[in-house]
Amino acid sequence: MRRLIDNIGTWLGIANILIVLVFLIFPIAVAVMMSFDARDYLGRFPPQAYSIRWYESFFSDAYYLQGLTTSLILAVIATFVSTTAGVSAAIVLDRHTGRSKEVLESLFLSPLVVPAVVIGFALLLFFSLLGVFDGFTRLLGGHIIITFPYTVRTTLAGLVGIRKTLTEAAMALGANERRAFWDVTFPLARTGIVAGAVFAFAFSMDDIAVSLFLTSPDTYTLPVAMVSMMRTNFDLTIAAAAVVLMVFTFLLILALNWAIGLEKLIGQGVFRS
Amino acid sequence: MQKSRGTLLLLLPGLGLFLALLVLPLANVVEESFRLFVPGRIGSAKDAPYTLFNYTELIEPAYAFYLLETFRFGLVSSLTALVIAFPIAYAMARQGSPLLRKLSIGFLIGMLFLSTLVRVYALQLTFGPTGYARLISGLLNVSPNGRFYTDLVVTFGLLHYLIPISAITLLGTIQNVNPKLAEAAQVLGASRLKSHFTITLPLCIPGLLSAFLICFTLCLSAFVVPMILGKGKVLFVSNLIYARFSEIANYPSGSAVAIIMLVIALMTIYGVTRVVSTRVIQD
Repeated sequence: MRRLIDNIGTWLGIANILIVLVFLIFPIAVAVMMSFDARDYLGRFPPQAYSIRWYESFFSDAYYLQGLTTSLILAVIATFVSTTAGVSAAIVLDRHTGRSKEVLESLFLSPLVVPAVVIGFALLLFFSLLGVFDGFTRLLGGHIIITFPYTVRTTLAGLVGIRKTLTEAAMALGANERRAFWDVTFPLARTGIVAGAVFAFAFSMDDIAVSLFLTSPDTYTLPVAMVSMMRTNFDLTIAAAAVVLMVFTFLLILALNWAIGLEKLIGQGVFRS
Repeated sequence: MQKSRGTLLLLLPGLGLFLALLVLPLANVVEESFRLFVPGRIGSAKDAPYTLFNYTELIEPAYAFYLLETFRFGLVSSLTALVIAFPIAYAMARQGSPLLRKLSIGFLIGMLFLSTLVRVYALQLTFGPTGYARLISGLLNVSPNGRFYTDLVVTFGLLHYLIPISAITLLGTIQNVNPKLAEAAQVLGASRLKSHFTITLPLCIPGLLSAFLICFTLCLSAFVVPMILGKGKVLFVSNLIYARFSEIANYPSGSAVAIIMLVIALMTIYGVTRVVSTRVIQD
């Protein structure tokens, strides 16, 4: 009886894993296959014949390409700004202890707690109040504030692991504080900083909720372009766009794995809100 | 003196961004939420009188419904995600092969990084009319255009993100539970299942709570999933804010909803962190 119950438990566990794998992977396989559909309309799955027509359509459509360009430029600038600000904030946080550190840290991480829609809406009102109507400036503001906490958090996680005695040793040997930082601390913290930058880039590329509020008719990101096409249009160029975005995701994960190794990511608790 | 000036300089960019892009905009939302809105305008007039109307309006059943709807989906999806993810995290934590472990962690992280829009579009193709909508709704004996099926697809949309994130969160927790404890119970005559429910599971409660918190807050702020997969039938609070902005430009009302949403999100997080931290101290 005991054996029987245990066996049932084991089989249920295996069935659970298989079902979840299918649930997570199958829709993506559907999207990838549909993006190669040869039919010229959105037909039933599975496609009868395959072609690259939707990719040709994506890469020759000025509307999508402009979205992709804006997304990439935006992600690069937002990543640069929030990583710079995040790293310098994390350095200060790492040096301090006690109440003031706790308060500052939760302040810097608080954009994670505020729902993205609220951030987008608040920035929209605020930019209108200030008279900022340039789409790119508004988007950049939104993307910086949603990526900033990730850079603080990963850099801090990277800095905490570095023993203070190393810096002290460098200073005892005659280096000043600045020299000790650039020669000892910074190289050791580099992985945390890179991870933060990769996260920032990924979240900037992915954002919809904030961007929808801040776009202007001529400045929009790729996800925003895809959302508006999804509402009005029923062709499979969106599927091709989705696969292009997936390729970016895949490259980012490779970068992350190269920079710190994926297993370490979990130990750092990066995904905890 | 020198040192504190350096500290201030380093903090300045972060504090500046934080103030300009979060604190001041939110303060402005609070102010706007008490302004009177005259239909037909975009936003409130500069000298609009103050009023509580934007908040009292939300008590009406029509609006409270959005909130209940968000909570209902949040609860159901988060609990389902935990029940499904726990055995997966357990299997990952307890199996020996380093390769399998690396692969499964890589897979889960890949699933988290997947763009929300790609996820939603893939689910729409799969469970929509060109996919398996007719087959699945036929099996469940419901209409593919009905409320139940739409609810189901929205829940799928939430679960597609919640399952990987809870599995990863729980993996950390289970790794910290000593497997010898469960083995001891089994040596003393408990079945594997019983030792699991009486020893391992109770030790994971703080981790389960924090995973629930993460899932629930993610559901509360979900926006794209209900917008695309809900086909206008399922609307969360975030969609209400967006509608206030895009459809009728009633910024004061949108602000009031935003403030309520923010307060609920903060309270949930505060509440559950309290529960988690007292549990840890007791243990």
